[in-house]
Amino acid sequence: MAKRRLKGGNVRVLDSLPMLIICIALVSALYFVCLARIASNNSMRYMIQIFLYITMAEMWNLLSGFTGMTSLGQQLYIGLAGYSVAVATTKLHLTLGLGLGIGVAISVVVALVMSLLLYRMEGMYFSVATWVVAEIFEKLFLNWKYVGQGSGMTIRIVPYPRIHEICVVALTVCVFAVATVYLLLRTKVGLGLTAMRDDIGAASAVGVNVFNHKLLVYAIAAAFTAIAAGIFLVNKGIVYPESGFSISWTVSLIFIVIVGGSGTVGGPIVGSVIYVFLQEYLARFPGWSNIILGTITILTILFLPKGIVGTLQEKLGFEIFSAKRFSYAKHR
Amino acid sequence: MYIAQILVNGILLGSVYALLGIGMTMIFGIVKLTNLAHGEFVVLGAYLSTVLAPLLGIDPILTLAITVPLMFILGFLLQYGLIGRAMKKGSEPALLVTFGLSIILQDGMLMIFSADARHIPVPYSKDTIKIGALEISVLHLVLFAISLIAILLLSLFLRNTYMGRAIRATADDADVAALSGVNINRVYAIAMGIAMASAAVAGLCVGMKWTYDPSVGGNYLLIAFVVVVIGGMGSVPGTLVAGILFGMAQVIGGASYGLLISYILLLLVLIFKPKGIFGK
Repeated sequence: MAKRRLKGGNVRVLDSLPMLIICIALVSALYFVCLARIASNNSMRYMIQIFLYITMAEMWNLLSGFTGMTSLGQQLYIGLAGYSVAVATTKLHLTLGLGLGIGVAISVVVALVMSLLLYRMEGMYFSVATWVVAEIFEKLFLNWKYVGQGSGMTIRIVPYPRIHEICVVALTVCVFAVATVYLLLRTKVGLGLTAMRDDIGAASAVGVNVFNHKLLVYAIAAAFTAIAAGIFLVNKGIVYPESGFSISWTVSLIFIVIVGGSGTVGGPIVGSVIYVFLQEYLARFPGWSNIILGTITILTILFLPKGIVGTLQEKLGFEIFSAKRFSYAKHR
Repeated sequence: MYIAQILVNGILLGSVYALLGIGMTMIFGIVKLTNLAHGEFVVLGAYLSTVLAPLLGIDPILTLAITVPLMFILGFLLQYGLIGRAMKKGSEPALLVTFGLSIILQDGMLMIFSADARHIPVPYSKDTIKIGALEISVLHLVLFAISLIAILLLSLFLRNTYMGRAIRATADDADVAALSGVNINRVYAIAMGIAMASAAVAGLCVGMKWTYDPSVGGNYLLIAFVVVVIGGMGSVPGTLVAGILFGMAQVIGGASYGLLISYILLLLVLIFKPKGIFGK
């Protein structure tokens, strides 16, 4: 009994039926808004951005917040996916779905090849290596004639998907991403990942297969980042080396995860909403946007180190999408 | 002779790359922090020299007398007041604070100095000296001299002064150093001050050699990263060798393939010697 209280018996998680119903209702409502085209094109544009940032930020969070692999190179998969979609649809006249599929496939293959290199490294070395590999690809695409070198490619799809169609696809990807992260963390694999983040040596000693776990997470992150980025760049309509492989993608993801709450599933969702609106609002103050984003990042780290969601969870003893599993439930 | 020319150019330019890496490697080795704002520090140094030289009517190199102490104080205060606080919460928060600093500095410089590409003009930028068949740029010689003097002074400081010994002791084992009466927070602040002072010198060199604007900090951060990782973190001779290797790669590969060659070099070093050439 004492143990039960110690483990935070009042922490409620998504397992409970009401929470599940709320989630399903919320997602259905969002689908309805997209499909029935209640929302204006402008608000649909925000929604697309939010859904896709949630997807990419969940993946960065899975790497950094849950597994301790702080990647500075997620833009590698963003660029690869953007170019895959552009080449598949514009040059080869394939469908958008096929283009996205090719993007995901290429990203997973690259992630598997990278794994040979990256898993020899930890911490800072891993961060630098991921960034450098992304830079290598940027330089390769800058010199590659077929994909338009520095000026990049305009994405032409006939017929170009309507905005509410993109919105539905983005929402679907987002739901799958959150569900994947949540379910993954609640399996044995998830326990292994958290153990690795906290102490990699100890985790390995108690029988966590560190290499396999990292490979799995890294490949999942690559796949979801790729599909989200593919849709994002279709929505933009153009991809070029400096935009696709830019470190500023990872910069945004870091901001989202830190402000929302690193190591929580809900954090990237809250962070993405804040980020997209903040970015829109800050567009009115040209020049100030990064100064304000940077200041918010620093203040969050100093005063709310667990982010908004992490701090709220601590204060309210209430967790949505908790990755924790409690044994007390079985003893009831 | 062609090879000799490449060697000479690579070594001369390499000293600048080494200087870029020195500030980074000190922070890695001593403070155990990945400083993502180092590139912006370098660009800030370049702007300070660019603005001060015509303002005071002095040679750009003489502006170091002002920029070096100024940047030292700035680094000291940043570490003492901000980064040090974040370090108490762990290494990742500290890393992210430097990241926040980097984007603040980048846009701050954009507002103050505009996005126009700038350059520190020197009268001898096109002059060359001929030694046999070798043609050596005077500018490169000057940059080599500045960088080498800065690196040498730093090594002498670390080896021969009390503070230098305290810094090295802290780098080896912060807890033991603290037990022996070293004020760790002060050592960290001074290390950050020195790193920023070195960035001021590197900024001057970079500004004399290339054009720059507020957005190029990331490039210099990446160069510093590559140099530091190839050389092995916290190692001054390693950084020097890595800088020269990097310089050679730039000279051989030129504008389009120079960086590519050095990135691949970095990955090879990481595969076969994951702690760098001179890493412990």
